[in-house]
Amino acid sequence: MAVETQTLSSCARAATAEEARYRIDRPIAPSRAGRVVALDPGAADVLRRTAQHGWANARFYVCEAGAGEGEDVVLRDVDGGPATLADELASASVVVMVATDDTGAACAHGLGKACWERGIQTAGLVLGDGTHAGTTASAAVAALRPHARVLLPSADEADVVDLLSALRV
Amino acid sequence: MLRKDINELLTRTGPGTAMGELFRQYWMPACLAEELPEDGCPPIRLKLLSERLVAFRDSYGNYGLIDEFCAHRGASLWFGRNEEGGLRCPYHGWKYDTTGQCVEVPSEADNSSFAENVKLTSYPLVKIGDVLWTYMGDPASQPPLPEFEFALTPAEHHYTSKRWQQSNWLQAFEGGIDSSHVTFLHSGGLKSDPLFKGAKGNQYNLNDTKPFFEVADSEGGLFVGARRNAEEGSYYWRITPWVMPSFTMVPPRGDHPIHGHFWIPIDDENCWAYSFDYHPMRPLTEAERQAMIDGHGVHSKNIPGTYRPEANMDNDYLMNREKQRTGEWYSGVEGIAIQDSSLQESMGPIVDRTKERLVPADSGIIKARQKLYRAATALRDKGATPPGVDPAHHHVRSAAVVLPQKEAFLDAARDDVRVRPGFPISSV
Ligand code: FES
Ligand SMILES: [Fe+2]
Repeated sequence: MAVETQTLSSCARAATAEEARYRIDRPIAPSRAGRVVALDPGAADVLRRTAQHGWANARFYVCEAGAGEGEDVVLRDVDGGPATLADELASASVVVMVATDDTGAACAHGLGKACWERGIQTAGLVLGDGTHAGTTASAAVAALRPHARVLLPSADEADVVDLLSALRV
Repeated sequence: MLRKDINELLTRTGPGTAMGELFRQYWMPACLAEELPEDGCPPIRLKLLSERLVAFRDSYGNYGLIDEFCAHRGASLWFGRNEEGGLRCPYHGWKYDTTGQCVEVPSEADNSSFAENVKLTSYPLVKIGDVLWTYMGDPASQPPLPEFEFALTPAEHHYTSKRWQQSNWLQAFEGGIDSSHVTFLHSGGLKSDPLFKGAKGNQYNLNDTKPFFEVADSEGGLFVGARRNAEEGSYYWRITPWVMPSFTMVPPRGDHPIHGHFWIPIDDENCWAYSFDYHPMRPLTEAERQAMIDGHGVHSKNIPGTYRPEANMDNDYLMNREKQRTGEWYSGVEGIAIQDSSLQESMGPIVDRTKERLVPADSGIIKARQKLYRAATALRDKGATPPGVDPAHHHVRSAAVVLPQKEAFLDAARDDVRVRPGFPISSV
């Protein structure tokens, strides 16, 4: 049952290389105000380097568990400047958490909860081998699992850059 | 999004390209064994990795995969006469054996050695399971034969089909590790397809449409885990293995046969989607085999005598807006295979990945591209053997398991995702 159509572009046969050049070509706005958060000192080193790449809207932070109770987390700019969690999340559409060990478990929990409440997408990258029990990275994976919609348990520094580039942050 | 130069690198697989060289490190399906059903049968034309070839089975049962064009003046050997011990070009009678060696040039003297110096490019062609496999790389680094479980089970335990897809291999393959589309595009099939329905796990799928994902490295590629809520305190995990460059398996459902794919470039704008089903513990039932032949599950209903699906771009994939409206077929297209091919072909022959807007749920795809890019450039720059060449890397299974919430999926399921002869698939 062939479908009779008047022009190529009005049927599925338009999926040719020639027709592909008619795909509308307008600049694509950076879609994600990405907030990238190091959960421990090892991750902070990685983010200091990552921040050097030219990013559209991404901002980089280090997270520290606050002195207070429960979900209290404190953000600092990756170069040490002050930052306020509520302000930073207000404009965020994705939060990428980076960990190398489980010292940031409390931060992961606090950040994860704050993102959940605001409907912000979360991703977690664990640098090192997080797929075998007993490694420091696997402890980080366990800490991050409940709080990251997507988790890469065996990531490396290049994954951070690739993920952020792919997300156009 | 993906950088333009990386998109180019990953999608071009002709001779001399970085990705083409990567594919040429592996054994891969060249065609189905049913295409050369008996000794001395007619040869078939094949294009693989942008090279035009002819496959034939000589009168003694040897398989050959050789340059399509006769060394004399370039006639296609598809017209060849499959004679005693070789394929003869019908133009001037030059004859070739399965290694591409010319064995007879009738115009030369009977005792001439002319033919000895004429050899067409040829690649090995080996039958394992329902598939004829080839290796198109340097003979000096030819790896041991592939050891994928589906091909090694007894013949009654497996079924393999193929279909022509009018798109680049990469966008077809990416569908194979894109767990997040199943809940939408294939939602109808979970309830009705004879090869999926009835599994307990289907309920977890349908009850929780926002899975969490984990993407973990494996020796041969990746494991992509998608987790959904199960009973109190536990998660339902669906684990998809990828073995480089393009082997994927779909997580199982109940005691249905388990299935998966190979995505093989024909040229840069076309690929073969191979689809297999097998059950490691028992023969397929008559009903299962018939359902596969009829194009259910991951298979397709092809135009008789061809490997082109009946629903294809020339007939708008037989779009049915009524079924789309009712949700019976979420996209209005029938069957898992064509639901995938229709959308992947609609992207254009080579999708422009610089225009994508990816989300964290696409992390499996992001990571797979990175691994392919790294492997292709490490091979090009340092001669590094890529993951997936070692047959030990082929011993993987997909799995669908319910695990306690605190367990790491790969740690807890490590036995479930490797081939254990005599053990059933881990499936709910
Ligand atoms: S929603 Fe994924 S391609 Fe349109
Ligand atoms: Fe699909």
